[in-house]
Amino acid sequence: MWALEQPCRERPAPLLADTPATLLAALAGALAVTAALVAQGVLPRAALDVAGVAAGHGALLATALAWATGGRAWPGLVAVALLTLAAVAARGHPLGLVAYAAPPLWLARVAARGHLAALGFVGGVRARHVAAGAAFGALLGGHLLVSASRTLRVAIGGRPLAELLGALAYDAGANVIAAECFFRGALFGRAQRRWSFAAATAVSTAAYVLRYLADPLLPGSVAFVVGAVFYLALLGAVNCWLLRWSGSLVPGLTGALVFFAAWRLLDAR
Amino acid sequence: MATAPRTTLALVAVPVALAAITTFVALDPRGPASLARHAYVVPVAAAALRFGVLGGSLAAGAAMLLMAPLVLPVIERSGLTPATAEGLVSLAVLAALGTLVGGAMTRARREQARHEALVAVRSAVAGAGTLDEALARLRAVLADRLEGDVALIVRDGDRTRIAGGGHLAPGSAAARVLATGRALFVVDASVGPRPRRVFVTPLVAETDVVGVLAVEREGELGAGERAALEALGAHVGVALENARLAARQRRFADELAGKVASATARLAEIDRAKSAFVAIASHELRTPLTALQGFSELLTLRRLAPEEVVRFARIMHGEARRLARIVDDLLDLSRIEQGLAPALYPTAVDVRALVADVVEVLRRAAPNHPIAVECDADLPALHADPDALERILTNLVGNAVKYSPPGRAVRVQARRAAAGVALVVEDQGRGIPAHALPRVFDAYYRVPGAVPAARGAGIGLAVVRALVAAHGGTIHLESTPGVGTRATVTLPAVP
Repeated sequence: MWALEQPCRERPAPLLADTPATLLAALAGALAVTAALVAQGVLPRAALDVAGVAAGHGALLATALAWATGGRAWPGLVAVALLTLAAVAARGHPLGLVAYAAPPLWLARVAARGHLAALGFVGGVRARHVAAGAAFGALLGGHLLVSASRTLRVAIGGRPLAELLGALAYDAGANVIAAECFFRGALFGRAQRRWSFAAATAVSTAAYVLRYLADPLLPGSVAFVVGAVFYLALLGAVNCWLLRWSGSLVPGLTGALVFFAAWRLLDAR
Repeated sequence: MATAPRTTLALVAVPVALAAITTFVALDPRGPASLARHAYVVPVAAAALRFGVLGGSLAAGAAMLLMAPLVLPVIERSGLTPATAEGLVSLAVLAALGTLVGGAMTRARREQARHEALVAVRSAVAGAGTLDEALARLRAVLADRLEGDVALIVRDGDRTRIAGGGHLAPGSAAARVLATGRALFVVDASVGPRPRRVFVTPLVAETDVVGVLAVEREGELGAGERAALEALGAHVGVALENARLAARQRRFADELAGKVASATARLAEIDRAKSAFVAIASHELRTPLTALQGFSELLTLRRLAPEEVVRFARIMHGEARRLARIVDDLLDLSRIEQGLAPALYPTAVDVRALVADVVEVLRRAAPNHPIAVECDADLPALHADPDALERILTNLVGNAVKYSPPGRAVRVQARRAAAGVALVVEDQGRGIPAHALPRVFDAYYRVPGAVPAARGAGIGLAVVRALVAAHGGTIHLESTPGVGTRATVTLPAVP
């Protein structure tokens, strides 16, 4: 038993230890330079979208990977490169959406080697855990659709198919996977080893909600902001519990994908 | 109904009830003000009563989520009307009901669990025969109730007894708590996907830390539970201390009973030996007395030739000396039993002459036994009581003669030793069994199966040992059954 046979550890490493600060600074610098060049008309508007995807989601994914691999920066660099390629490809050709499969596939490959166990990518995920995550995502997404359509009179399924597929590919390949890896796998994973489950969930969920409130793609109306806070807080908290319950990130990832799929069905423009 | 089916039923019934009520409310033209909304109270209260604060909060949250799409659109369309206000109040009531009733249930269950744990602790320790058994039982009970890995460590004198772990490593959480007496909470002790909480609390009896209780679990160990565990630690400490004292008392009682039985057996043996001694001593005393009586009667009643008178007188003198020796031995034994040393009148004694005299007397008494004498040329004079020394030698050589078959040689040596003289008496007799060797110096003890003809009261060697000790010397006996016995007496020389 650990309490008897192992030496008692000193305090754990700081919460933000192993953060790839140089890479994050480089991403922020690249985003700023791109924004400046776009503002001066040197680069097209799409370049800023690509830089936003690469810097925003890349920063989250790179930090999560660095925390999981003891501070290594190269997995983060690979992730940023793949996200950049996917964003460029998606904007360059309708079939370029397929490139968004690259980041999750690469992550699956790394996880299969056992390098991402700290993020919750572990073998032997149970089907009932994944089903529970999907069911919760569907419940929350369904509730979102009913509430939004009844309360805010938002149309459902009004988006063009190409745009919908593009949004779904973006969620699957960048948005959801980066957010779940960082806010659940990395941040919640570390926080719960320092504080209680409730405190860790609160920290992780608050950061998760703030991330989406700062997202320029979120519609600016108060009703949408309040709705985003409500649903994202619920999704974040339940995904924390799913990770704790199942020991795997996959159920929460599934739930978030289903929920965001429901969100994409809304014509919230 | 068993607990698991009830739980499953509740897990199914609560969502179904919530969905059904929502359908009724949605179909009611009164909208948020529908009377059916009050029915939400039933599944929420049921969940709170069955699953505590978590179940109550989740059911209330689910009810609110289901009701919100019915209330909020009306507010969006018509603003805050009495109907929508009723709907909002219902939401607030559900939230309060689920949380408060669930919280009260959780607290009540926790108290109940605490009381049950205390009762279980008492019954686990009560029937235990030993401290290890009490520890094992207690650990099993606590592991079952605390739903985690449990270890108990208890100090028992200089030893540390452990239940639920291999060893106690220095610097471990348990070792720290044992040393400081302060509870320790480690938020995570795992490298796996789930954190493993560890709580170690001291077991306290009165003001002393008598051990520690360690709990490890892949789940929450909240502040309330930790406080309850600390309180439990005090109860467990007292229970284990009582068990430890009871076990010790039982052990002492067993030891005492064993000692009493042993002493009783020894007393019975001594009693038997004394009875045998009385019989033998009477015989030993009677033999010379009979001789004295018979020869004195002959001298009185008959006219004898002068040579015959002299022979009878010598015999009577010898028997008188024998009688005196027996009486001396008895007196010395009496002094030894009173814890007194034999009375000695030491002077310088010529060992060579003394050995020669004693051997000469015994040669005459036992002509069939060849007795060889070897004395070093430069023997120093001994500082001893001559009579006592004569009795020592007579006893040892007499025993050698008595327990040797006729014709077997007895050897008497006097050698110069480091601080005096070593007197060695060797025979080729039947020897003494190893088990009897440590007891041959005990008074009244006779080796079982000793030669029947070799009568004795069993006091000779006891007196010899007392006399040697009174001289500041030592006596050592070696014997090999079937080969012979060697007695070595070392006595100090004249300073």
